Amino acid sequence: MSRAKLLIDVGSTYFKVSTPSSIEQHFRDFNKDILDDLTHKCGETIHAYKKEDIYICSSANGGLSTLIIGITESFSLKYATNIAFNSGINIIDKVLYQNIQEYSVPSDLIDVVIVVGGIDSSCDIFGEPLFSYLKMLKYSNIVYVGSGKDASKIQEKIPNLVVLPNIIDHRLHIVEENLKEYLTNLYQLDIEGKEDIKNLYTITANQIYSTPYIVNQTLPFIGTKFSVVNPFILIDIGGATTDIHYSKDLVDDNIVTTNEYDRLVFKKLGVFKSKESLIFSAKNNEFVYELLTHLKVTENIFEQQSEKALQVLMQLALFLVLCKISHYKKAYINLKLLSINSIVLTGGITKVLADAQMEDIISFFYKKILNSNHNPSVVMDHNYDIWTLGLTNNKG
Amino acid sequence: MKVVIGVVGNDIHVVANRLIELSLGARGFEVFNLGVNTYLEEFFDAAVETNADVLLISSLNGEAEGWSREVKLLRSKYKTLDKLVMVIGGNLVVGTASAEEIVPKYKKYGFDLVFHQVDLNTGLDALEVYLGERKIS
Ligand code: B12
Repeated sequence: MSRAKLLIDVGSTYFKVSTPSSIEQHFRDFNKDILDDLTHKCGETIHAYKKEDIYICSSANGGLSTLIIGITESFSLKYATNIAFNSGINIIDKVLYQNIQEYSVPSDLIDVVIVVGGIDSSCDIFGEPLFSYLKMLKYSNIVYVGSGKDASKIQEKIPNLVVLPNIIDHRLHIVEENLKEYLTNLYQLDIEGKEDIKNLYTITANQIYSTPYIVNQTLPFIGTKFSVVNPFILIDIGGATTDIHYSKDLVDDNIVTTNEYDRLVFKKLGVFKSKESLIFSAKNNEFVYELLTHLKVTENIFEQQSEKALQVLMQLALFLVLCKISHYKKAYINLKLLSINSIVLTGGITKVLADAQMEDIISFFYKKILNSNHNPSVVMDHNYDIWTLGLTNNKG
Repeated sequence: MKVVIGVVGNDIHVVANRLIELSLGARGFEVFNLGVNTYLEEFFDAAVETNADVLLISSLNGEAEGWSREVKLLRSKYKTLDKLVMVIGGNLVVGTASAEEIVPKYKKYGFDLVFHQVDLNTGLDALEVYLGERKIS
């Protein structure tokens, strides 16, 4: 028999505490350490549980950042991007090696640089331009997953380079496992290394996982809680990022993987921490003014601080993210949105918008962008059941 | 020698492409088969990743005609494909037209060898001759 569990999710804006009978959500106090904040607001609940029965996951700080250097869009860059997203890592930039001299070097510290290119029988792919670029870049880790023939040559030039097996096999198919494991471990170490998170181990005896990982693990079981019809997409709109999880059949792609579900992160489409960039993308979308008119507001709403303004931002985030994955914009991935039967919404958005408001945006999107009356059913995860399901299924 | 092969565009005719893979293999080429439904950019990208010598594109339903117009422009964006030999074959128009009409057109698009409704072995023999001559010159 399983005992009652307490589940805690630490996000960048909120934390949630769930018991078998209730779910509480609190806005985080950024002047406090997470543990203090938690015990201050939910101390009684937490103390009622043994360490063994408390499960925590975290998406605070949005995860690790990566910059990928590859030699083609369709293979090396695409495969590494895919693996990075599925490991919960955010992509800061992708560099096409042949043009590396034309790229500006990001000023932020990159957590991990991924260098990839060529099947194992190709050689002499990377040279001086790579080394000069890396000299200008600030990064903490670097991993090489390209042609095996070049590995030792590159290793000589780059101190601390981690070499893993090629992610492109001899048939140009993707090989995910090694890089995925490396990145997942890095992410895990990063979460655990954060003082704030380390402190949380005083209340739990279980491993703390990243939230996107937990959500992704849940998708195969989603039918046990919701009436979701395959294929579906799941959109998690939060304070700092917007995540999309989708089933593989929705992509026309040359990627052959064993994963049933993939994930995409839009780092700049959150409604609190990345509000500015959300508004920026909105203003650059030609349909947004029409959408604002449809919602009976003007762009002044962006300057306001009100419940209504927050709702409009959430609606915009939902609209923009749908645009970004549709064929309307050529992006990293375009999903077959006309084939989906359900859209599942989870995260902060379900607390802010009414069902009708979300459905309204979705049908606006289908009409305006895809010229279609297609109407997937919208499934709302108001009670964070997806996350609860994931944490309880994933016992580490 | 490394050869990247596949069927361009939304074309799903698999049979010829499979035969091409087998024949090239039997002739001692190292073959990378991208299969049906392959876009131009994927062909070039595969040539980069494999460091291929030859790119051999097939079209059976004829849609190559449309795609091929973009070949030159796209190829010019790649900095490592100068030596790539480009071959195309199959049914290279929708409907009918003569080889005299078709071959020069495709050469202008950027292909070195063009085989419109040419039997596979005849075509591959010609390819080997061509590669042999290039080596000598
Ligand atoms: C089987 C077939 C299909 C099957 C395909 C099944 C499959 N998954 O492979 C199905 C029913 C799905 C199909 C669909 C269609 N088909 Co069809 N199909 C054929 C058919 C009858 C045989 C093709 C075949 O496999 N032949 C056997 C192989 C070994 O021969 P091959 O393809 O001719 O290739 C030889 C040469 O061309 C050469 N070759 C090929 N590539 C290259 C490359 C190089 C470099 C060289 C040197 C040689 C070479 O080598 C091969 C061996 O000698 C042909 C007609 C025919 N009899 O050829 C039509 C045909 C190819 N189809 C045709 C059409 C129009 C279609 C459809 C558009 C029909 C429709 N309206 O829906 C769709 C298109 C679907 C799509 N998206 O591509 C037309 C194309 C006409 C054109 N180009 O003008 C053909 C020619 C029929 C016709 N006479 O109208 N088709």
